[in-house]
Amino acid sequence: MDSFRQAFDLLFSLDKELLQILGVTLRMSFFSTTISCLLGLPLGALLGTRQFRGKAFLKKMIHTLMGLPPVVAGLIVYALFTHYGPFGSLNLLFTVRVMVIAQCLLILPVVTGLTASFLEKGAVPMIETAKGMGLSRRRVLFLCLSESRASLLSVVLNAFGRSIAEVGAVSIVGGNIQWKTRVMTTAIMLETNKGNFSFALALGIILLLVAFVVNVAASWIVREEAYDV
Amino acid sequence: MFECNRLKKVYRERVVLEIESLSLSQGETLALAGANGSGKTTLLRILAGNLKPTEGEVRTASPILYLPQRSYAFRGTVLDNVLLGANDQKEEALRLLVETELLPLKDKKASSLSGGELQRLAFCRLLVRPCKLLLLDEPTSACDAAGARLLLAALERYREKHGCTVVLSTHTPVVATQAAKRLIILHNGRIEADGDPQTILQSPSSDWAKEFIAGWRI
Repeated sequence: MDSFRQAFDLLFSLDKELLQILGVTLRMSFFSTTISCLLGLPLGALLGTRQFRGKAFLKKMIHTLMGLPPVVAGLIVYALFTHYGPFGSLNLLFTVRVMVIAQCLLILPVVTGLTASFLEKGAVPMIETAKGMGLSRRRVLFLCLSESRASLLSVVLNAFGRSIAEVGAVSIVGGNIQWKTRVMTTAIMLETNKGNFSFALALGIILLLVAFVVNVAASWIVREEAYDV
Repeated sequence: MFECNRLKKVYRERVVLEIESLSLSQGETLALAGANGSGKTTLLRILAGNLKPTEGEVRTASPILYLPQRSYAFRGTVLDNVLLGANDQKEEALRLLVETELLPLKDKKASSLSGGELQRLAFCRLLVRPCKLLLLDEPTSACDAAGARLLLAALERYREKHGCTVVLSTHTPVVATQAAKRLIILHNGRIEADGDPQTILQSPSSDWAKEFIAGWRI
């Protein structure tokens, strides 16, 4: 109960550091989810609806990458962006940008794999029906996207959920620097290590609240119209 | 109309369709019959342009309308579905709904329809627009006898109005004899019998066709 009270006290006191951490968390999750979806949804659509040489191998690769451990993703990105790495000259290590890149490495296979699985199972009759009606390619695309919006939203929310809850990769490449790269998960980890369990739990409750609000808002956007049945 | 020569489709080294030559003139109706996996859907999907043949060439008139075996109920009401991409055809849509006895359901959610009702809806959704080649994959498979009669009557009226060529696959002899002037029986992707439906049904040309037709009538 103390943790719940502390969580609400923190939220309503508009603690500057908490708001800054929340801001970084949301910014990072927004950009990593958006970039992963912009690339992963079309890739998943190709994988789910087209036949091409090497498709089976590509699917196996993507399914393997869907289980990529976050710390491994963090290490790969760290190696690429460290001072002696191939992208070291960009000076991106310990910034929010590199945290977004590490998260994209984790989330992109999830978005691609889930989109392909959904389309393989459910979209073929939909596409065939729409094409059979003689509709233009563009019309078929928009119709199928509109029909699939609830399923595609669950893919996006899954990506967002993975991003906002991720700690391993962002702590390696972000460094958990106060006022700069600290996000909710790394702050929780830090407070737990310091022994501030109830404060860590309070941060966890706030993180859950944020995820809940995002889910409710997204579900409201794609709500079903009501019809008399 | 359509014409295909040396058509071949191979899936994982298995030949699923092999037709030397097949053509149909404008206004003709062809019924395709055969056991499951005999190549009916593969031929229809190739004609519709949804599947590329491994070998051979296909020439078809356009526009083509194609009713797949598993039709999809799009979001919205029954009327919304019929008017998809044909908003200016409301009068024709309502007439088709009357003809297929779906008018009382026009404001219901399409996804709440039964299998037979959905099949009738899919039919209306297609016939609301004109075409040169109409491809129907088992169009009455989910309908009862009354529903099938409604669809066949609607199909005949549409064919007379637009003078289009119709190819339909079926597992029902009465659909083949009532709707088509020509029947092709496929067996393992090849044409086993081709001709007038009544003649084929009464005097099959091979032992296999005889056995298939005997089973077909049950």
